Amino acid sequence: MKLEEFIVVDKENILNEVSKMKMEDYRLVAITCDKEGDAFEMIYHFDKNYEMKNVKITVDLKDTLKSISHIYSPAFLIENEYQDLFGFVYEGLIIDYKGKLYLTENGPKTPMLDKKGN
Amino acid sequence: MSRTIIPFGPQHPVLPEPIQLKLVMEDEKVIEALPAIGYVHRGLEKLAELKDFQQSVYIVERVCGICSFMHSMAYVRGIEDLMGIQIPERAEYIRVIFAEIGRLQSHMLWLGLFADAFGFESLFMETWKYREKILDLLEMTTGNRVIISANKVGGVSKDFTDEHIKIILSTVTELEKELNLVKNTFLNNYTVKQRTVGVGILTKKEAQDLCVVGPVARASGIDYDLRNTGYSAYKNLDFKTIVRTDGDSYARTVVRIEEMFQSFDLIRQAISKLPTGDILTPFKGFPKGEAVSRIEQPRGEAIYYIKGNGTKNLQRLKIRTPTFANIPALLKMLPGSNLQDVPVLVLTIDPCISCTER
Repeated sequence: MKLEEFIVVDKENILNEVSKMKMEDYRLVAITCDKEGDAFEMIYHFDKNYEMKNVKITVDLKDTLKSISHIYSPAFLIENEYQDLFGFVYEGLIIDYKGKLYLTENGPKTPMLDKKGN
Repeated sequence: MSRTIIPFGPQHPVLPEPIQLKLVMEDEKVIEALPAIGYVHRGLEKLAELKDFQQSVYIVERVCGICSFMHSMAYVRGIEDLMGIQIPERAEYIRVIFAEIGRLQSHMLWLGLFADAFGFESLFMETWKYREKILDLLEMTTGNRVIISANKVGGVSKDFTDEHIKIILSTVTELEKELNLVKNTFLNNYTVKQRTVGVGILTKKEAQDLCVVGPVARASGIDYDLRNTGYSAYKNLDFKTIVRTDGDSYARTVVRIEEMFQSFDLIRQAISKLPTGDILTPFKGFPKGEAVSRIEQPRGEAIYYIKGNGTKNLQRLKIRTPTFANIPALLKMLPGSNLQDVPVLVLTIDPCISCTER
């Protein structure tokens, strides 16, 4: 399915939008992070009865992001993944691996940002 | 009572792949479980950005050995959507047949591992003996037993001969009889039921809150199977979601066993409707835009987010696998269980860690 429609919200309003999805019984499917120019796009994918809704915010690497794990608890895994792979920092994570979900102390840092790969 | 932390894994006889659970115990009872992963993270999403989008078919096949075909199927479907490629009807049916053969070998693998988890070694060996026949089918049709490399952007690279079809149908009939034999033991044996009935209950509400997918969700009463959306050739096949409501390990076993019988039926239906003609559509150009491709793998919904920028390299490939979605459910099931049930509960979500970490 081509993705052409997004619900674009300001990063400050992401918790409101996600809460709305939760109240409408949407299931959190995934969160995608992608570099777009100098900024990053976070797409929150939701599903209800096989129909998807995609909420998009634009963020910067130096932003502290709001964790949605207190609304959708399974989000803690993917948010920890983005702390590891992109170097984002989330506030309010229900389980915080502090950048060590996949990576070890001496492992590569923020490998998804590496142009040539590690 | 004082608490003890027991590390379960990453190397454990019951675990085919490495994951560690830190079990907080009070005597024999699990109070809390925390997962530690990262033992098999390979950075495949990053690798896919660095390779040609057609080479990435072979990368995503290696996300997981067990559901290898369906990973590549999700990926090529996403690329085909982006590029507006209409693949031949025969290729759609061949994909469904391979996908259902893949589901059979995955569920059969799980049944064996599950039997091993509760210590029924002969049942484990019996189940895997039958699974060999499914792998033989893959070897006969593609030359490979696990990673079959049958998908290409635009269709499939392997076709079935009349002889192949005859052998697939006779093997399906044979396996159906054999599965009935082990089904009886899995579902009616007193000892097996002692280890599964009422163990690791996940209610429908909990499953919904935890965004659970696949057989784990369906065993908790959630009627959700992406094959209902009619992707590929599923739109032309009769299909009904298998759902149970008890939410325990027994219900999850029932769902997977019944799904195997359903796969036999889907393979027969697909073969009976298999059209003649080409299996690959030629195309030119590079993918541009964003697409999401979702398919129902043996463990549940897999989602591929693909972003192309009009060059041979993808800008982004994001994969969310079913086990990644189901780990929170495991963390919910474990507290309150006894230590001896932990291996059974871990297996009951059919964990695939190489998928999870990519």
